[in-house]
Amino acid sequence: MTILIGYLPTPEGEAALEAGIAEGQLRRESIVILNSPRKGAPVDAALASAEQVTELLRRAEVAGVDATIRQPGHTDDLTDEFIDIADEIDASLIVIGLRRRSQVGKFILGSHSQRILLQADRPVLAVKVREKS
Amino acid sequence: MDFLSPVINGFGVVLEPMNLLYCLIGVVIGMLIGVLPGLGPAATIAILLPLTYGVEPVTAIIMLSGIFYGAQYGGTITSVLLRLPGEASSVVTVFDGFALARQGKAGTALGIAAIGSFFGGTVSIIGLTLLAPVVAGFALDFGPPEYTALAMLGILLVATVSNGSKLKSIIAASLGLLLATVGRDTFTGESRFTFDNLSLADGLDFVPIAMGIFGLGEILYNLEERHNKVQAPAKVANVWPSRKDLKESSGAIGRGSLLGFFLGILPGGGATIASLAAYAMEKKRAKNPERFGRGAVEGVAAPESANNAAATSSFIPLLTLGIPANATMAIIFGALLIQGVTPGPQLVQNDPELFWGVVNSMYIGNILLLIMSIPLVGIFVKILRVRAAILAPITVLITLIGVYTINNSIFDIWLVIVFGILGYLMKKFGFEPGPLVLAFVLGSLLEENLRRSLLLFGGDPAGFIGRPISGVLLLVFLLVMLLPLLQKAFRKTRSTAPAVEVRHEEKERV
Amino acid sequence: MISASNQEVSSGGSVTNAAAGNGPSPAIADELPEPLTAEQLAAEWDEERPPHAGPLANVAAAVATAALGAAGLAMSVAMGLGSPEKPEPGLWPFIISLVMIAMSVALLVFGRKKLDAEAFSSSSWQVAAGVATLVGFVLVVGVAGFEIPTLLLTFVWLRFLGKETWRMSILLSFAVTAAFYLIFVVALSVPIPHLF
Repeated sequence: MTILIGYLPTPEGEAALEAGIAEGQLRRESIVILNSPRKGAPVDAALASAEQVTELLRRAEVAGVDATIRQPGHTDDLTDEFIDIADEIDASLIVIGLRRRSQVGKFILGSHSQRILLQADRPVLAVKVREKS
Repeated sequence: MDFLSPVINGFGVVLEPMNLLYCLIGVVIGMLIGVLPGLGPAATIAILLPLTYGVEPVTAIIMLSGIFYGAQYGGTITSVLLRLPGEASSVVTVFDGFALARQGKAGTALGIAAIGSFFGGTVSIIGLTLLAPVVAGFALDFGPPEYTALAMLGILLVATVSNGSKLKSIIAASLGLLLATVGRDTFTGESRFTFDNLSLADGLDFVPIAMGIFGLGEILYNLEERHNKVQAPAKVANVWPSRKDLKESSGAIGRGSLLGFFLGILPGGGATIASLAAYAMEKKRAKNPERFGRGAVEGVAAPESANNAAATSSFIPLLTLGIPANATMAIIFGALLIQGVTPGPQLVQNDPELFWGVVNSMYIGNILLLIMSIPLVGIFVKILRVRAAILAPITVLITLIGVYTINNSIFDIWLVIVFGILGYLMKKFGFEPGPLVLAFVLGSLLEENLRRSLLLFGGDPAGFIGRPISGVLLLVFLLVMLLPLLQKAFRKTRSTAPAVEVRHEEKERV
Repeated sequence: MISASNQEVSSGGSVTNAAAGNGPSPAIADELPEPLTAEQLAAEWDEERPPHAGPLANVAAAVATAALGAAGLAMSVAMGLGSPEKPEPGLWPFIISLVMIAMSVALLVFGRKKLDAEAFSSSSWQVAAGVATLVGFVLVVGVAGFEIPTLLLTFVWLRFLGKETWRMSILLSFAVTAAFYLIFVVALSVPIPHLF
């Protein structure tokens, strides 16, 4: 059984990764990190660079969790791709990071995390960024 | 120092606020499209032609030329940072430029490239300043036969030295010549190929054709899905090149600039060939050639100096002889015609303000680019995040609405669409669009001079050979035409230039 | 190569195109990285392009251009050829048409081996769709002003050709139309037909 983690080089993505690795330790499961850029432009800030990828995998290794990473790139819909991959690997858990957005913001700009939460047919762990106090 | 006074007057023209503004606009747009994949300088210049209608000829050409050499700067940024050449002429820069970036020295690579580009452009402008009046003076003796031969030679050179199949380029050129005949025949007044359509009676306008084939054609071509790679954003450590780097590359810059200058003047030559040749030359004369491809500064300095030098010197045939050296020059030629200016040897004499205004604007433009290119790198890389799908409808609308603003004619929009489809099909089937537009632009001039010459000679074509200059030109014409056959017969060894398939993303070759 | 060097850490993951950012030098040894060769780059780019079309493409093109040339020939003869001493309007187009036909025949004969054309693919329909929208644009613009066709065209290109989300497509098409209105009608007073 594997855990599917949605990763972006943002605080939310980092939070999701940490939580996902922790879950992987707890459940003794391997993790699949999904970092999918939007195709169509030469550069996408969502894509983790090669150094970042190495670093992510190292962190998982240090924690004793077996990790692989996928960076397929999507044209249409990240949500669909997410759910398709979750089905493919038969994920036991999906871990995603949630951004603090107002309801209006979510309506106008859309929210993949919202759709994943609603459409996925497996457990979803939605992680928030820990406020530094 | 009488010959310097028009040059100095030229600076006066450039420093007028309007011209300075358009120069800035031109180079910024040029850098932008050099960075963005998808549209090249020729397409952009074509699309922006409607902007030239409301302004002075000088101002218009200052902007258009700024786009052209600005694009050379822009293409370097993506080559170095993303291993993705923005322009065909920046392809060679990828090898050492990206290697330097991987070693954390992207700033060095970009800095050397900027300095080299600036130097190359400046050397070329100085060459232009000195050489152009000489050539123009020499060409004042030209009469209709000489112009005929020169035009034919120009078309043939661009057709044969182009990227794709020579046969296809000649076919494209013939189509261009045919299109030029549509409309009323100036000699006899008869209508040709108009199919009783009023809008065609005055002939086809250059602008819709250029906008269609280059602009819309490229936009349509980009609609097809290519498996575009996405890359993570690259960070640029703001490291200015060290003194050692500058010293090491100074030789390469110098040599590259000179080589680029000469290669740019040849019709069909241009920035791409210049960058390839300069790189090959540096590699050959280097003491340890294995450094190339792993981050040798000369590997960045040489091609960048060469491509800017060549881009600038390719203006020489246009401004002095009235013969465009490549597709982009052909569009600028058309832009001049629209403004009522006929490029040719008499341009230097009759309109020195225009000539020197444009030439001197290149100095200013190069300075602006040098100043802007390093600080703005971060912004340009951010612009690369905009998806092509968003830019596409915007550019297409600018094209369609833009062409309408010229003559308030819906027919013009139809023309753009028709030629856009033609441009797309040509790209798909491997026909170069450049020779077509070039031939179209030269077509009516060519025919006019041919018929005038025949009248002069009383119908005897041998008269061409009788005159020394036209005879020589025609001889060169025949040689160039027969060259491929001769080559096949003798089976010469291939040249050793790097065999890079510069068909990447079909940027039009400059 | 660049992607390959990262594979040592994991298995199975398709680490596509993670290009090196520009942070600190790679933690792998301090050696100079493998030089890129022209062939590698060219091969990579070739991968990205649509497949080459077969030899039929050149044949088809040659036939098309030969037909064009023949048409030109016929029409120029109809205009009268005259002679070099007294050229008639048809002479020049006649010569060009001849050249065109000759080159087309040469292309037909010699060009079959060259593979420089691109194949049409399913995404080529997108181009056809794009052209259809352009035609629609022109048909509507004269009648109803440019705002509506601009809005519709932008929306179609964003949503169907660009696969943007519905929200983004609607928002952006309004934004673009508004921008064009402000620039062309308000700022530049360009005489395009407009509703408002």
